[in-house]
Amino acid sequence: MTHARLARLRTGLLWAVAVAVVAVYAFPFVYLVLTSFKPATDAVAVPPTVLPQRFSLDNYLTALNRPGVTASFVNSVSTAVIATVLSMALAIPAAWGITRYRSRAGRVLMAGSLLVRMAPAVAIGIPLVTILGALGLTDTPTGLALAQTTVALPLSIWLLASFFEGVPREIEEAALVDGCGRFTALLRVILPVVSGGVAVTAIFAFLASWNEFLFALLLTSVRAQTTPIAIANFQSQFGLDWGPMTALATLYSVPAVVLTLLLQRRIVAGLSLGAVKG
Amino acid sequence: MSRTAQAAPPRTVPDAPREIRRRTRRGLSDARYAALLAAPAAVVLLALVGWPLVKLAVNSLYTGSGLGDGRRFAGLDNYLTALTDAGIRAAAGRTLAYTVIVVTAELVLGLAVALLFHRLGPRSRILQTIFLYPLMIAPVVAGLLWRFLMIDNVGIVNELLTRVGVLDSPGDVSWLSDPDLVLFSVALPDVWLTTSFMTLVLYAGLQAIPPDLYEAARLDGARGLRMLVSVTLPLLRPVIAVALIIRGVDAARAFDVILIQTDGGPQSASETLSLTIYKTMVSYNDPGTAAATSTLFMIVMMLVAMVGVLTIWRPGRES
Repeated sequence: MTHARLARLRTGLLWAVAVAVVAVYAFPFVYLVLTSFKPATDAVAVPPTVLPQRFSLDNYLTALNRPGVTASFVNSVSTAVIATVLSMALAIPAAWGITRYRSRAGRVLMAGSLLVRMAPAVAIGIPLVTILGALGLTDTPTGLALAQTTVALPLSIWLLASFFEGVPREIEEAALVDGCGRFTALLRVILPVVSGGVAVTAIFAFLASWNEFLFALLLTSVRAQTTPIAIANFQSQFGLDWGPMTALATLYSVPAVVLTLLLQRRIVAGLSLGAVKG
Repeated sequence: MSRTAQAAPPRTVPDAPREIRRRTRRGLSDARYAALLAAPAAVVLLALVGWPLVKLAVNSLYTGSGLGDGRRFAGLDNYLTALTDAGIRAAAGRTLAYTVIVVTAELVLGLAVALLFHRLGPRSRILQTIFLYPLMIAPVVAGLLWRFLMIDNVGIVNELLTRVGVLDSPGDVSWLSDPDLVLFSVALPDVWLTTSFMTLVLYAGLQAIPPDLYEAARLDGARGLRMLVSVTLPLLRPVIAVALIIRGVDAARAFDVILIQTDGGPQSASETLSLTIYKTMVSYNDPGTAAATSTLFMIVMMLVAMVGVLTIWRPGRES
């Protein structure tokens, strides 16, 4: 009896600790969102308050009316879409070839992708400025997307390979017996089986590009500027204007948060598979 | 997935293009076919990573700006500069310190939270989801957000610390302008962003430990901390190693989080190697030294990662 009560008390305590930890962890972002809805002057009120005294969209209007901000959103979307499509188109066949046939070339590609991940982005980014310049891709979403593919593609290959591992060989064999070509079997039979994994991988590729900063800083100036750069420029151009900055930061985080919530379980599966097996 | 999974298993694909069928029948060997599948990705990686790295290595042997004015072969001079320059050496030291700070904090926090979630079981899923979201947020946003939280007088961190009595007044600690403190302060957003990753990976690792191992250890009298040190941690070793290597490499490359908070200041006190290289290139227009420094940086990173993989992870030994 007392033993059971003690155990229950301990579990209750653990729950309390867990809730407190998560609350502290969530606080910075919640505070960002709350601040973005304060009237512009209250963002840097002394002393700061957590809750808005008055709900206001001023910060959003100010942020979106700044020159180049809406264009930067368009650039961010198009760059991320190009990088995602390119990475997936290349990673799907590669990852399947690697997991299904276990060739030496496949192992080399896997190891190569891992090595690419070790390379500091500056080391790749600086020479890419001249290379993309020679191709006429300076300051274009396509050029930036190509650079970001160096991040998104290795990531996609590793994640997809871990999802393909779980596909029973019989599925492909059955498709081949039915007269399907190997590549057709991949596209029409294998891919639907791992559609969840493909979706998670695509989301990671998208976010890798969406959140990327260094290549965007090196490779774009005006026309192809993405929102992370616009956010960074906010301070130098207009002084430290915290209110609109919190609004822009909140807006830019919406896709990331929504995608995470939508695919939460699969993302957990994908990340842990990739890391634990990797 | 369940819906598609049910629909997908063996079924006839009626109109597979005749051309592909013919090619298969002619018979491309498995190895050739696998290589063909991987070739486009390999070519793209070679073009976008291999070629720039070759160019980087070549650039590291020249001095002068890249525009042809006075660019001349310099042999290993740039490497000599990179290895002896006081600023670059200091930046290398800071990069190491920053990496150790970030990775240690993340490992301790991440492991504690993973153990907590593991103990609470599947019912803690909502908490896990909330704990996961920072992982998806842009580093530049996180850096900015923490800078906002840590402003001396109007930041909420100092305000809260003052209210609970840790500080006498909100102006007492200058997180981002005190040279002794700044390396720890700039690490906070990085820790905040990626402790989730640590937790996620370690939690998955904990889930994979068979419960009867715990049962056996319990019968042998292991409890609490003893259980953690002699059963859980050794079993988690490969998982911890992977997480440490991945995070260590990322922390050492940190750029945007720091740039947005302090731009490496005050007095370069938070300038890590990626920032130094960027500044050497862009602000001081010295591509030769920048290239030599990045080449050395990359070689060291790969060596450290390889040693890490071989010694702590020891792939193949477990399975």
